[in-house]
Amino acid sequence: MSGYYAFLKKELLESIRTYKLLILIAVFFIFGMLSPLTAKLMPDLLSSFLPEGITLTVAEPTALDAWMQFFKNTSQMGLILTVILFSGILGTELTRGTLINMLTKGLSRHAVILSKLTAMILLWTVSYMTAFVVTWGYTAYLFPNDVPPHLELSVFCLWLFGTFLMTLFLFAATLVKSSYGALILTGAVSALLAMVNIAPLAQKYNPLILALNNTALLTNAIQPSEMYSALTVASICFPLLIAGAAVTFKKRLL
Amino acid sequence: MEILAQYWLFILPLFVIQLALALTALVHVLRHPHYRFGTKGLWIIIVLLLNTIGPIVYFVFGRGEEE
Repeated sequence: MSGYYAFLKKELLESIRTYKLLILIAVFFIFGMLSPLTAKLMPDLLSSFLPEGITLTVAEPTALDAWMQFFKNTSQMGLILTVILFSGILGTELTRGTLINMLTKGLSRHAVILSKLTAMILLWTVSYMTAFVVTWGYTAYLFPNDVPPHLELSVFCLWLFGTFLMTLFLFAATLVKSSYGALILTGAVSALLAMVNIAPLAQKYNPLILALNNTALLTNAIQPSEMYSALTVASICFPLLIAGAAVTFKKRLL
Repeated sequence: MEILAQYWLFILPLFVIQLALALTALVHVLRHPHYRFGTKGLWIIIVLLLNTIGPIVYFVFGRGEEE
């Protein structure tokens, strides 16, 4: 356990010194702020691009539009950036050989995997919360007293998907040698999930809908109960992926 | 000016964040003259001229290994 805490501390310190934390917080803050602003200014922007004489009636923006922007930004650019920032989390130390010293001095391999995963999830949570709080604040400022339904669940779903993706990435990083390989593998699995999503039967259980149906939840297009299967699948996959990563890393030649 | 007065609550934090990112990256570029690719001049231009994206690209792809 002491190895776990010491290594976790090292991981967190590393994310500060390599400017990962700074970038994540800054970018998610900007996402959080731009979401309500884009929603607010969208009608003006559209009309300013239209040629003279054409009038376009756009509905007055609401808080819903702000949250739509929020989910679009964080689920796409936000997640991609987070995974890219973490891309070297295992590979860098392995290629440099800096991990071997600590492992031969008695640091358990499980502790390495677990502390790296904790650091990733912690940073993802902090940056995602930053975006959420900022969007919340600015939305309340621009669109007072307007909160779409099922917002908490929708926000939780995307958080869980992010956590799932981080775990998946770490598992991928234990399987392949290079950091880029792990990125490609994670991208391939995501693409596979997107393909599975075409089949109506499997759709319900696909963890990917946790990052896709957020807006549908807010507009009441789907009911919260329709997300439960996917939530369960993601929650079951989570310990399995951790176990997979721990076992693969234990057997791996360094 | 009207827009500035109306949206200063947005523009100010955005400006501060972008400036902070650009300055942090600039200091790093100047103090660590080893890059994975590119030269010092190139990175200074990227970091200062490309808002937000420049510093991120530098820290993720351009930053060299520490000695």
